[in-house]
Amino acid sequence: MSIWKLGRMQLFSACALALLSTMLLAQPSQDDSSDSVRTPRDMAPVDLTGTWVSVIAEDWRYRMVTPPLGELHGLPLNDAAQEIMNAWDPAADEAAGLACKGYGAPNLMRLPGRARISWEDESTLKIEYDTGEQTRLLHFDGTPPADQERSWQGYSVAEWVSAPNMPRGIGFGPGQAQAPVAVPTGPLKIITTNLREGYLRKNGIPLSENAGLTEYIIRRTDIVSGDEWLSLVSVVDDPAYLTGTFIRSSEFRKEADDSMWSPRPCSAR
Amino acid sequence: MKIISMKFPLLLSALFLLLAGGIANAQPGVPGGPFEADLQGYWANPLYEDNRDRGEGPYLGDYLGLPINEAARRAADVWDPTILSLEERQCNDYSADYATHSVGHQTMWKEVDPFTNQTIAWRMRLSWMAGQRTIWMDGRPHPPEGAPHTWLGFSTGEWVGSTLVVTTTHLKNTWLRRNGVPRSDKAYVIQYFTRIDDLLTVVDHIYDPVYLTEPLVRSSDYIFSPFGNMGTFICEAVEEAPRDLGVVPHYLPGENPNLSEFSEIFGIPVEVMQDGAEMLYPEYLDRLEAMLAE
Repeated sequence: MSIWKLGRMQLFSACALALLSTMLLAQPSQDDSSDSVRTPRDMAPVDLTGTWVSVIAEDWRYRMVTPPLGELHGLPLNDAAQEIMNAWDPAADEAAGLACKGYGAPNLMRLPGRARISWEDESTLKIEYDTGEQTRLLHFDGTPPADQERSWQGYSVAEWVSAPNMPRGIGFGPGQAQAPVAVPTGPLKIITTNLREGYLRKNGIPLSENAGLTEYIIRRTDIVSGDEWLSLVSVVDDPAYLTGTFIRSSEFRKEADDSMWSPRPCSAR
Repeated sequence: MKIISMKFPLLLSALFLLLAGGIANAQPGVPGGPFEADLQGYWANPLYEDNRDRGEGPYLGDYLGLPINEAARRAADVWDPTILSLEERQCNDYSADYATHSVGHQTMWKEVDPFTNQTIAWRMRLSWMAGQRTIWMDGRPHPPEGAPHTWLGFSTGEWVGSTLVVTTTHLKNTWLRRNGVPRSDKAYVIQYFTRIDDLLTVVDHIYDPVYLTEPLVRSSDYIFSPFGNMGTFICEAVEEAPRDLGVVPHYLPGENPNLSEFSEIFGIPVEVMQDGAEMLYPEYLDRLEAMLAE
C-alpha cells in the first residue's frame, strides 16, 4: 500500500491526534494556572522599578509654577469648588501645618519631580517622590484596613490589568466549556481611597476627602531612541467639587541612576 | 513498506503537533505576546490638559513646555494669526500629530481580511475637517522620501504588548502649537495608543530635526462614548477680511508687538521662552525661582 493511500482508520487517527494537539496547545500553559502561588512581584508583566523623571511638556504653566488665584482652565469645577478656590490663602495653610495640601496622590506626580519606584516586599510597590518628599505604597493584597487613617497619599490597592484570553479558532474544546483565563497585558491599575482633604491643583482647587482616584501606569519603550517611558493616567472623581470625571496623563522617562534625586519639602506657594 | 505506511500518520501527527505548538505559542493574547485591543468606537476628547492651547487658543509668544530651538522661536516670533483667515488656509486639516492633542473627537474602526481575519488597517475619522486617517497593519513599507506629504501623513502600526505603536511619515509642515510654533515636513511621529477599560491614552513622540532639540512627548486622553455622533463637518472658505491679493499676514523680525503679552499677564519671565528643552525638567525650578525672585 502506498503511503498516500492510508486506510480510513489511520487517516482518522492522524487527523484526530493533530486536532487534539492543536486544541491542547492553544490552551494557556500550565504556568498560568499556578499564578495563585506566585507573588505580585513574580507576576509583574513589566518592570516599573527605577528612577523616573517627569517631563513637563503639558500644562507647564500650572505645574512648573503655582497658578494664580482663580486660575481654573481645564478643570470641571462646580460652584462650590469655585467659591472655596477663591478663598485660597497659602499663608493660612502654612500656619496650620498644611503645606502639603497640594501634594496628595491625585496631584503629587503632576508636579515636576522624580519618582523612585521599588518593591517594598513581594506584594507592595513603593513610589517615592522627591518633590514634597512623599511616599506612596501600592498594595496588591487586598482592601484598606478598617482603621486606616486618612493621609495625603491615602491607601492604594494595585493590580495588573488583565484581559480574558480565549484560544483562537472555533472555541471547540475537549469535553468541557473553555473558561477564559485572565492574562496580564502590561499596565498597572491603582485605586486610592482614604485621602485627606487637599488640593487638586496647588492654587487652592479643592479636593474632598471622599474623592476617588483611579490610576493606570503604562510602560513603553520609545522605538526610535530606546528610552523607557511611563505614562501615569490619573482619573479623579469628586462629586463634592467636580461636575465630571477629571482625567490627566503625565509622562516620565527612566534615568540611568538616581543621581539627580533632589528632595524638596512641600510648599504651599 | 507496510511499516512505513503504519508509521506515517504518527510522524505526520507529530510534525503537526510541533507546528501547532509553535503557532499556539506565537498567538496574540498569551503571556508575553501582543494583545490586540479593541479600539473601535467613538472616542470623546475632554480637553483637560493644555486646555487653552487646544481650545480658545494660546497666546503669541507662549513657548512653554516645548523643546524647540532658535529657528523655531524665530519662525514663531513673526507669525501673525490672521494668516488663518486666508481663504486657502481656512479649511486646512490638522496634521496627524496635532490632531490628537487639539480639539475634536475621533472614531476608529478596523478593516479586516474576510478570509484570514487579520487586521489590514485601522481607520480614524477626526471631527476637525472630517479628516480621514489610515494606519496600515499589513506590514507594507513607507513610501520613498520623495512621495507627496499630506496633513495626516502615511501611517503603519504594530502591536507591542497591549499598545498600538503607530509610525507616521510624509507629513506636511504645520505647527506644534496654534501660535505659530512650527513643525517641519522632515518630522516623523511615533504614537502609542493604549486602551484600558473605557479610556484611550494616545502618547505622541514627535521627532523634528529642523525645529526640536529632543522629541516632544505629550499625551492625550479620550473617553469611550458608545452613543457619540460626530455628525458632519462642512467648511466653506469665504472672504473673512478685505486684503489685497497676494498679501500674506506676518510680522517682520523684531516687530511683533504681542510677544510679551503672555508673560505680562501670567507673570512668567519672558526669558523663560528662550530656554527650550531645559525648561521641561524639575531642575529648571531653581533657575525659574531665581528669575521670579528678581
